[in-house]
Amino acid sequence: MFSVKPLKPTFKSYLPPLQTDLKKSPQLTIRKLEAKLLPGEIVVNEANFVRKCIGADSSQDDLWGKLICTNFKVSFITHNSLPQQNFKYVHRLLGEHDVPLACVEQVVTVNDVKGKQKVLGSNKKLKFNPTELILYCKDLRILRFRFDQAGPESAKKVCLAIAHYSQPADPQLLFGFEYVSSRYYGSSGERVNGVDPGGGQQTPLFDRPSDWDREIKRTGASEWRVCSVNEGYTISPSLPEYFVVPASLADQDLKQYACSFTGQRIPLWCWNHPNGSALVRMSSISDPQQQRKLDQRICSAITKSHPQRCDVFKSDLDKQLPNIQEVQAALVKLRQICVIEPFEESEEKWLSSLESSRWMDYVRAFLRHAVEVVYTLEGKHTSVILLEEEDRDLSCVVAGLVQLMLDPHCRSLLGFQALVQKEWVMAGHRFLDRCNHLKRNEERRKEESPLFLLFLDCVWQLLNQYPSAFEFTETYLTVLSDSMWIPIFSTFLFNCPKQRAEHSRDFARSRSIRLGQDQALRFPAVWDWSQQFSPKDQTLFNNPLYVGKGATCVQNGAVKTFKRTKQKSYSSTLRGLPPALRNGQLSDLDTLPRRNSLVLRLRPELGQAREPCETPCERFVRERFSRPADPQGMLLPQLLPSHLSLWRLYFLRWVPEARIPHGGPATAFHKLSLLVDEIHTLQSRLRHYNTSNSTPTPTGPPPPAPSLALSPPPNPPQRPHSLSRPQPEQQQQQQQQQQQQHHGRMYFRTSSSAPAGTPSTPDYLSSSFPFSPEGNLCRRGLLGTPLSKLLSGARIWLSTETLANEAL
Amino acid sequence: MEKSGSVDSLGSKQSSSRQPSVDSLSSSSTTSRSDRSSQAKPPSAVSSDSVSVSDLPLSPEQLRANIRNKPVPKVIRDSHKDEPQMLTKETVQDMAKDVTYICPFIGALRGTLTVTNYRLFFRCMDRDAALVLDIPLGVLSRVEKIGAATSRGEVSYGIVCKDIRNLRFVHKQPDDTLKKSIFENLMKFAFPVSNGQPLFACEYDQVFPENGWKVYDALAEYKRQGLPNESWRISKVNDHYELCDTYPSTLVVPVTIPDEELKRVAAFRAKGRISVLSWIHPESQATITRCSQPMVGANGKCSKEDEKLLQAIMDANAQSHKLFIFDARPSVNAAANKMKGGGFESEDAYQNAELVFLDIQNLHVMRESLRKLKEVVYPNIDEAHWLSNLESTHWLEHIKAVLAGALRIADKVESGKTSVVVHCSDGWDRTPQLTSLAMLMLDAHYRTIRGFQVLLEKEWLSFGHRFQLRIGHGDKNHTDADRSPVFLQFIDCVWQMTRQFPAAFEFNEYFLITILDHLYSCLFGTFMCNSEQQRLKEELPKKTVSLWSLINSQLEEFCNPLYVNYSSHVLFPVVSMRHLELWVGYYIRWNPRMRPQEPLHQRYKELLAKRAELQKRVEELQREVANRAAASSSERAGSPTRSITPVQTFV
Repeated sequence: MFSVKPLKPTFKSYLPPLQTDLKKSPQLTIRKLEAKLLPGEIVVNEANFVRKCIGADSSQDDLWGKLICTNFKVSFITHNSLPQQNFKYVHRLLGEHDVPLACVEQVVTVNDVKGKQKVLGSNKKLKFNPTELILYCKDLRILRFRFDQAGPESAKKVCLAIAHYSQPADPQLLFGFEYVSSRYYGSSGERVNGVDPGGGQQTPLFDRPSDWDREIKRTGASEWRVCSVNEGYTISPSLPEYFVVPASLADQDLKQYACSFTGQRIPLWCWNHPNGSALVRMSSISDPQQQRKLDQRICSAITKSHPQRCDVFKSDLDKQLPNIQEVQAALVKLRQICVIEPFEESEEKWLSSLESSRWMDYVRAFLRHAVEVVYTLEGKHTSVILLEEEDRDLSCVVAGLVQLMLDPHCRSLLGFQALVQKEWVMAGHRFLDRCNHLKRNEERRKEESPLFLLFLDCVWQLLNQYPSAFEFTETYLTVLSDSMWIPIFSTFLFNCPKQRAEHSRDFARSRSIRLGQDQALRFPAVWDWSQQFSPKDQTLFNNPLYVGKGATCVQNGAVKTFKRTKQKSYSSTLRGLPPALRNGQLSDLDTLPRRNSLVLRLRPELGQAREPCETPCERFVRERFSRPADPQGMLLPQLLPSHLSLWRLYFLRWVPEARIPHGGPATAFHKLSLLVDEIHTLQSRLRHYNTSNSTPTPTGPPPPAPSLALSPPPNPPQRPHSLSRPQPEQQQQQQQQQQQQHHGRMYFRTSSSAPAGTPSTPDYLSSSFPFSPEGNLCRRGLLGTPLSKLLSGARIWLSTETLANEAL
Repeated sequence: MEKSGSVDSLGSKQSSSRQPSVDSLSSSSTTSRSDRSSQAKPPSAVSSDSVSVSDLPLSPEQLRANIRNKPVPKVIRDSHKDEPQMLTKETVQDMAKDVTYICPFIGALRGTLTVTNYRLFFRCMDRDAALVLDIPLGVLSRVEKIGAATSRGEVSYGIVCKDIRNLRFVHKQPDDTLKKSIFENLMKFAFPVSNGQPLFACEYDQVFPENGWKVYDALAEYKRQGLPNESWRISKVNDHYELCDTYPSTLVVPVTIPDEELKRVAAFRAKGRISVLSWIHPESQATITRCSQPMVGANGKCSKEDEKLLQAIMDANAQSHKLFIFDARPSVNAAANKMKGGGFESEDAYQNAELVFLDIQNLHVMRESLRKLKEVVYPNIDEAHWLSNLESTHWLEHIKAVLAGALRIADKVESGKTSVVVHCSDGWDRTPQLTSLAMLMLDAHYRTIRGFQVLLEKEWLSFGHRFQLRIGHGDKNHTDADRSPVFLQFIDCVWQMTRQFPAAFEFNEYFLITILDHLYSCLFGTFMCNSEQQRLKEELPKKTVSLWSLINSQLEEFCNPLYVNYSSHVLFPVVSMRHLELWVGYYIRWNPRMRPQEPLHQRYKELLAKRAELQKRVEELQREVANRAAASSSERAGSPTRSITPVQTFV
């Protein structure tokens, strides 16, 4: 226990002396269960003979092993494998049973003999020996460990360590600092001068003027300029060093205006519509005396930047959208009904409980607000200012959604990543506070809010309604949200760029790390997906249905590639829909004139008691809906509550009772992937023949198509690579090459060995794919009791034979 | 058919009752289309040879696409868009201009209303709110005048449709009081049965390349299942519908029970609907059998013959020494039936049988639930309380109960290798829901387009689901307590399964919607009458066209591009509110604020075309390369052939 003085662990005490090789601890040799450690990771505490609960009804599937708490994760290591484990993508940083400490929401210890239970916080005492540990995770998992056979003291220690280390007191105690300094700046590091920040695919981070310049050019925002008044964060602590302002405003003006805005935030340009209207975000003006004057100046500057000198429309987000606490409360309720309440009990009132959580309401509110902004930009040719007190929360969601709806570039993988980088990371969304990575107290709890998850849910709704408009899949969105809880990415670690710069500089100084050219420690961005996944697993992100730049679209046999041009018309590429699917209402006239009959509302004597009253925005949406959708044009979501769905993959993936074996969207993904892969194969053959035709040398044996040659055996039962050893430069290059080849490739391939005509669907496909509920959701207090059988849901109707068959 | 009288109203004088405010504003519209209404040709002039492939408002592009390369009769397109695409034998009965359609979404729309002997057709002339309503009269459930004529001589009437919508029209009373009003014509042609007239299906004589009446052949279907075999025989006892007039003529029964005994069993089962085989498991020989409730009555009668039949059904399956009897009803309802002479099997009398109640509510409860659902979804949705309102209709809860029951049946048969007997009260409503859903889970054949048709023909049509009574074809008695959305509920369950297994069904959502649309349209004979015997007596196969003729003549429209033939897969859907959804594509399709889901198959077809094109080019190049290689380098004898192996294609 902590009373043994010399061993009292603190974060600091473990940090520098890497020479203590804890892996040689004698305990570990008993069963040779070794923790897989990352650079900079050290074991804090561990317990042997721990049982991890797996099954919902019985303990027969439970796994025996060692529970380890490191400064990064809670790790469970076992020699046994899961009984029903058919498939799991391999995570490079985390093992099958691992949870990052930053992902732990609540640590509950139980002594079921004494009937006691306690929620453990940081530095709390525990007066009983726990027989059971339950970890409630931020990614909605619930893990349970039993200590029946473990030493009571070591069990207690490991529980206390998890509770303590999952809530560090200072940002520099987050594992990312240790990891990055050891992996990239240490003497044995892979790359002395830090990590390649953009990841393999060069996502612009918007930390350089050139990234902004390109964005200005791309959107044709000629009346806007990059300004560098905030270099060194001298003006505003929460703004990035470079951002974009109206060309008519001089640096001197900006400096003068800044002090009147909340957080000294000069209004930020987000995006330009091809028609010239701009999307701008702005914090409130704190100085009441300046308010009118300043407001006018800003508006007139934005008006000047509009080609038609159109007026500016201000959209006050605080007044029209839920605040961050309300969003947080909604998620808490939603989590309660999705994963915590017993499955069958919550069935009867499922819909009304879902409604009372208000999560779907909020998703709809943000989407609807974004549609209104879209209408102003596109339909009224008017620039929009998003107004928010601090301009760091609601604006991020709305600005992101507006661009996703209007700009097809943002629906490509790189474009989306750039969007998040621009509107969230650089705009200063307080990820550190909203994720609540640090020690929790009342004040911090008020700051916690799942706004980014809400944004991803809104994106999912769009993806769900327009499946071919996005380059990425819902797996990508899910994995991205999970990455928030892995505290090594620059993306989600800090409240703003300045905070990142300061902390990493201080940390480097305190550790005497030589930074070389960099001014601060550089963290990998989450966009460097090779940190987490193999190139093969990254192909899970590729949407086979995508119609967009790079993807091919057939029109009359010709291959057409879409490009954004200045005079882009959002033309339709799809032909008409089957009429029964079209709502049978609107005629097949080719064009519908824009204007709608106001008329009809002026005739109350003819109408029913409740005359339908359409706002101009609603009419705009309805008219758009009467035409076929263009995945490369403007996307407007259906906003009727009946047309928004719960994001099942995210919210129900761990729920064993909700898993559809052999079903779910994954089966469609599989089928489509095979077809697209075939097209890729044919294309590469064609390329091969074309090149061999053009060269005069006689054709040698043609290399087999890359997709056939390079595809690793499907479903490799690999363990995650330990990254603790430096990888040779060569290997990394090879990896990058491979990654390029995998870009745009499909996860599922037509295998050359399968006999033609018999596409076999893998048995591991389910509605949870690529995740697996096994052992990830063990609700408290029902295990092994007869009651659990009663409550474990619809599945009890199935006989044991069926359940057994499923295991095969 | 009375074709006189109303047609002459076509060239009617321009109505003088123009609504001033509508006019003043609509005339300010800049775009103008040529005014064709003044010289409207009578639609009947083109009707003789113009044919629509379906009554659905297919777009011209679509029609052409459907028809290209197909021997489907050509459609003559006409520039007169005020008139519907006429079917064969369809004639205009009445037409009125300056009719106002009060659209619950957009508001009042002025246009032309046409009534034919098949449909109601409304086209709005407003330039900036073009709209067409094209509704088969069979869909109409109720037509009613609302209020008295107004001071301006306008009459208003409301129409309640069977497909979850209501319509309301207002128009001027015709000056000529002798002429029949639109209202009267609607009443006449929408409810021919009440007027002693035949349904339009008996006149419609479109010839399709496929004959849908040949889709189902009972003997062929049983042969596919491996029947007859050593335990099961095909009985002719009901050849002339003497044993049971609501059963099919072909029955499969255990070999050990002679026809004479079957007749005695019939006396003990309601309406003579004895236990006969629906489906047999190809490996375990476990069977699904169906029947009606036993006539136990208040005194607890029993029947040795019935017990023997059930024993024989159990014995036919060597894998299990048990038999499960699934009674679809709540146990309270089953017990209440004893007072009416019915009831349920006592486990004392039936050795080794286990009785399970599946708690599915009766048809009156379901009708009420759909009525509530319609209130919630049409015309507008209460956005703030959508989910709780939906919950209060209990519609999804009932869907869940039906699916859960079918799942238990499928599970017993597949995993328990145990034979099951399924019944409700009469065995023609909840029973076909359960048996056909269980069969859909168990047998991949029924998940194909033709297999699904066979399933409907067999479990629903031949076993006497009373479509005429449940739907009330052409009958104006809309309050009839025999009407109930039992079949709609079944199709909804199928749709729920297609959502959970997007690659397991050969058909798409459009197929299901088409079936439901023609369930009401009275264009095809498929869903007419109440039993096989009635259909034969009415000579429906001779007099009418089958819906499957239409569908099988343009299969492509109804194919799910994601279909993978999992021939050996049994589907176990997750029956949970977390996965059940309201079928918005059906129930909310009239709302113009909804846009149908972007169709996957469009993108998929593009990809298929792309692949075909690439394959062609690769093959050409391969041939070229092979020729050159053969010509130039004879020394390279062992030249690789790998690249020449054709790429496998999975569709």
